[in-house]
Amino acid sequence: MTEYKPNDYKSAVKPSWCPGCGDYSVLNALMGAMADLNLNPADTTIVSGIGCSSRFPFFTSTYGFHSIHGRALPVAIGLKSANPKINVITVGGDGDGFSIGGNHFIHASRKNPNITYIVMDNEIYALTKGQNSPTSHEIVTKVSPYMSVEERVNPVMMALSFNTSFVARGFSGDVVQLKDLITQAISHRGFSFVHVLSPCMQYNDKITYDSVKEKIRPVPENHNLSDRIAGMQLVLEVGTYYTGVIYKQERPTLGDKLNEVKAKSQANLPVDFSVRDIVKQFS
Amino acid sequence: MNELIVRIAGTAGQGVISSGDIFSLAAARSGYYVTTYRSFPSEIRGEGQCAFQLRISQEKTYTVGHFSDVLVAFNQKAVDVNVKHLKSGGILLVDSDEVGELSGESFMEIIKYYVPITTIAKDVASVKAKNMVSIGLIAGLISQIPMKEQFKNDIRRRYAKYSEEIIDSNIKAFEAGYEYASSKLERHDNLNNISMSKSGEKLIMSGNEAIALGALVAGCRFYSGYPITPATEIMEWLARELPKVGGVMLQCEDEIASVTAAIGASYGGTKAMTATSGPGFSLMSEAIGLATMSEIPLVVVDVQRGGPSTGLPTKSEQSDLNMAIYGTHGEGPKIVLAPMDVQDCFIQTINAFNYAEQYQVPVILLSDAAVGQRRECVDLINFDSLKIVNRLKHDRTKDAGLYVRYRNTKSGISPIATPGDEGGAYVATGLEHTELCNPTSDPEIRKMMVEKRFRKLETATHEFISAKKYGPDDAKIGIISWGSTTGAVLEAVDMAKDSGYKIQALYPRTLYPLPQEWLQDFLADKEIVIVVEHNYTAQLLHTLVYRCNSINKDIKFFEILKYDGSILSAREVYDRIDKIIRQQSLRYTFSNDTTEHQYKF
Repeated sequence: MTEYKPNDYKSAVKPSWCPGCGDYSVLNALMGAMADLNLNPADTTIVSGIGCSSRFPFFTSTYGFHSIHGRALPVAIGLKSANPKINVITVGGDGDGFSIGGNHFIHASRKNPNITYIVMDNEIYALTKGQNSPTSHEIVTKVSPYMSVEERVNPVMMALSFNTSFVARGFSGDVVQLKDLITQAISHRGFSFVHVLSPCMQYNDKITYDSVKEKIRPVPENHNLSDRIAGMQLVLEVGTYYTGVIYKQERPTLGDKLNEVKAKSQANLPVDFSVRDIVKQFS
Repeated sequence: MNELIVRIAGTAGQGVISSGDIFSLAAARSGYYVTTYRSFPSEIRGEGQCAFQLRISQEKTYTVGHFSDVLVAFNQKAVDVNVKHLKSGGILLVDSDEVGELSGESFMEIIKYYVPITTIAKDVASVKAKNMVSIGLIAGLISQIPMKEQFKNDIRRRYAKYSEEIIDSNIKAFEAGYEYASSKLERHDNLNNISMSKSGEKLIMSGNEAIALGALVAGCRFYSGYPITPATEIMEWLARELPKVGGVMLQCEDEIASVTAAIGASYGGTKAMTATSGPGFSLMSEAIGLATMSEIPLVVVDVQRGGPSTGLPTKSEQSDLNMAIYGTHGEGPKIVLAPMDVQDCFIQTINAFNYAEQYQVPVILLSDAAVGQRRECVDLINFDSLKIVNRLKHDRTKDAGLYVRYRNTKSGISPIATPGDEGGAYVATGLEHTELCNPTSDPEIRKMMVEKRFRKLETATHEFISAKKYGPDDAKIGIISWGSTTGAVLEAVDMAKDSGYKIQALYPRTLYPLPQEWLQDFLADKEIVIVVEHNYTAQLLHTLVYRCNSINKDIKFFEILKYDGSILSAREVYDRIDKIIRQQSLRYTFSNDTTEHQYKF
C-alpha cells in the first residue's frame, strides 16, 4: 500500500494567495492530515465555492470541484450521496459559507453527510478587495465608508445551534493543532465543521496573527464534548476564542440513512428485481 | 363513432379527480386509448371548482377533445361552468339532490338526467361515495363498451391501502350507479352508437410519471429536488422507486441546492436529474451555467406553469422557452427539448440523458402542467431496442500520459474521469480554464475553449437536431408549434383537411440548438405560417422562426396565443386557423377575445 506524504497532495499549481495569508497554513494542515490518514488522492475530492480560500482545489493533487459562490456544500453532498466511497472535503470562506451559502450550512447539518467542511474565516471579502463579510468586526470599507450597520455572526455558535455533529475551531497561526483538528474532523463519521481563524494580510487589519493570538485559549480539558450547551457557553464568552474540538456527536450519517431507505424499499423485492419490474405498475 | 369524451365536474374535495383517475385507468386497462385533462384549484379543498375530462378512443389521440359526450355535474356551479363544453345532443347527468330543474337556452339541445346521486351514495355507502356512483352511472350508460369488471378492479386497486369495508362500500356505490343507469335511465343513440375495438396492451401514466420513468430507464440514479407544483410528482415517484434500484432521491433546501447537488452527483459519475417549475428554474440558472462551463452532464426538467413570479402555480403555460434558451448568463452550449405528449415525455427524457452524457452539457426538458399532470396511454417499452448513451470515460489503459480533462478535441468532447479513477484527478471549475483545468484569462486559450465548448453542439447538429412534419408537403399554409400545444395543432390540421384546407404542421424535436435547416426548408414555399403557443409574446416565433426565415421574405406570419391558464383545444386552434385564412388577421389571442372565444375549464 502506498504511503502518502504531505507533499504528495501538492499540485503543480502555485497558490495564488498573498504572502502571509492564513490559508497557506490550512493547506499545509490539510495535506498533513490527509497524509496522516493516508487518503488516496484519487479517492478524495476537495469541493469549494468562490473566494480566495475557494481556490484551494487547484493547489492539491486530489480531485477537485471549484463550483459557484456559496454552493460548495450541496455539490459536496450530491457527490458523497452518489459516490459514498469518495472522501469529500469541502472548503471555503466566511462570505461563501455564512452569507450567500448560509442556508446550505443549516441543511448540511440536518443531513449529516459524512463530509468535512473547513471554513477559512478572514472576516472580509478579500477576492473582491475588501468589503464587509458576515463575520466582519465593525469596520470601515469602501462599502461601509461611514460605519458597519450589521452585527457579526458567530459561525461556531451557528454550527452548535444547527446541531452539526462535529464542531471545532482552529487558527492559522497554529498548524500543528489545525492538522490535528482536521484529522479528527475527517475521521469523524458525519458532518464535521472546522472553523479556522485565518488572517488576511491585505484587506483586514481587525484580524491579525497577533490580535488572534491574544484572544485564543485552548478548549478546557474538562469540557464535555457531548454537551452542546457547555459548548455554546464557551463559544459565547466575549473576548475569547476557544480552539480545539468543541462538540462531537455520533449519529447516523446521511449515507447510513440512504442505505436504510434502500434496504426498506428493497425489503420485499425479488433478487433479480430491475427497472423492467417497475414499469409493471403502469399496466 | 369510435370515441367517447366524458367530463366530471364538481367542487374540489368531492372526488372528481379520483373518479377521473379510476375511469381513465379502467379504460386504458380495458385496451382503449385514453387522454385526460384535469383542472383543480390551488387550494386542495374549499370552494374551488374542478373538472376532469377524459377521451377514450380506439386510436391514439393527442388531446382530450373539445366538447364532451357526457357531463356529470355534482352541483349547480359545476353545471354553470361546464355546460358550454357539452356537445349538442350530449348527455348532462346531474345530482338531483343538489341541482334543481334546468331550463333555459343552454339546456335546449342536450339530454338531461336527474339522478339522486347523493341519496344513492348514502343508501349503499356514504355521501363520500358520490363519485363512485357517478362512474357507475356512466359505465351503465355505455355498457356496450365492456369495462365493468375493470372498473371494479381499478376501484379495488385505488383503495387497496384502505380497509376491506371502505373498498366494499366503494364497489357497492359503483354497482348501485351501474344498476340505476341500466334500469332507470333511457339510453340514447348518441351513446349507443359509440363502439370501440380494443387496441392491445398499453401502459397508462401521467407526463410527470413518464419523465420519472424515462429517467430511471435512461440510467438516472440520483435525483435531487425541492417540492413545487406542478413538478412534485416526479420527485415523489422517484423517492419511491429510485432506492429500489439502488438510486438516491435527495430532498434539498431549495432549487439551488437541488441543481448543484445533481451536478455534484454527476461529477461523481452518476447520471443525475432535478425537476422543477418556473420559480425554481429561475433559481437554477447560474448552476446550469456551471454545468456548461465544467462540462458535466446534467438533466433539468422544467414543468412549466403560468408566470412570472409565483404566477399560476396549477395552470399550464409555455412561457419559459426564452429562459431555457437564453436564461443563463454568458454563452455556452446547452440543449433544450420539449415533449409533445405523455409518450414523448418518456422518449425525450431518455434523449435528454443521452445528449447530456454524449455532449457533457446540461439538457433542459421543457414540459408543462398540461402534459405533466394528464394521463395518457404509452406504448409498451421495448427495452432491447432502447438506445442508452453513457459518457465518454477517460481510459487510462489507452491514454496513460498526463490526463488532460478538457482536451481540445476535434469534436469538442473530451474524455471524462470520475473521482475514484486512478490517474484521472482534475478540478472541475466554473472559471475559464486551460485544457488542464487551470484558471486562465489568456485570450488565446479563452477563444479556444469557447470554441471547443460550442463545437460539441456543432457536431451534434448532424446527429440529432431535427423537426417533425405532419401534413402535405405542397401545403402553402404552415403551422408551427412546440411541446404540449402540438397535439391540438395536429388534430386541428386533420380538422382543416376535412374542411378542404391544405395545411402542413412542423414541430421541432430540439428547440435548442434550433433545427435551422428543417425550418428553412419548411418555410421556403409557405405563404402563411401560423405559430401556436401558450404564451403572450410568441416566444418560439420571435426566438427561432424569424431567425431562420432568410429565404422567404413574403411569408405572412400569424400567431395563435393563449395565456389565460387554460389549454388550447384542437377545436380552438382550428377555429382560429379558419378565421386567419378567411380574414388574415394577424394575431389571435384568447383572453382579450370576446366571451364566445373564452374556453374556461
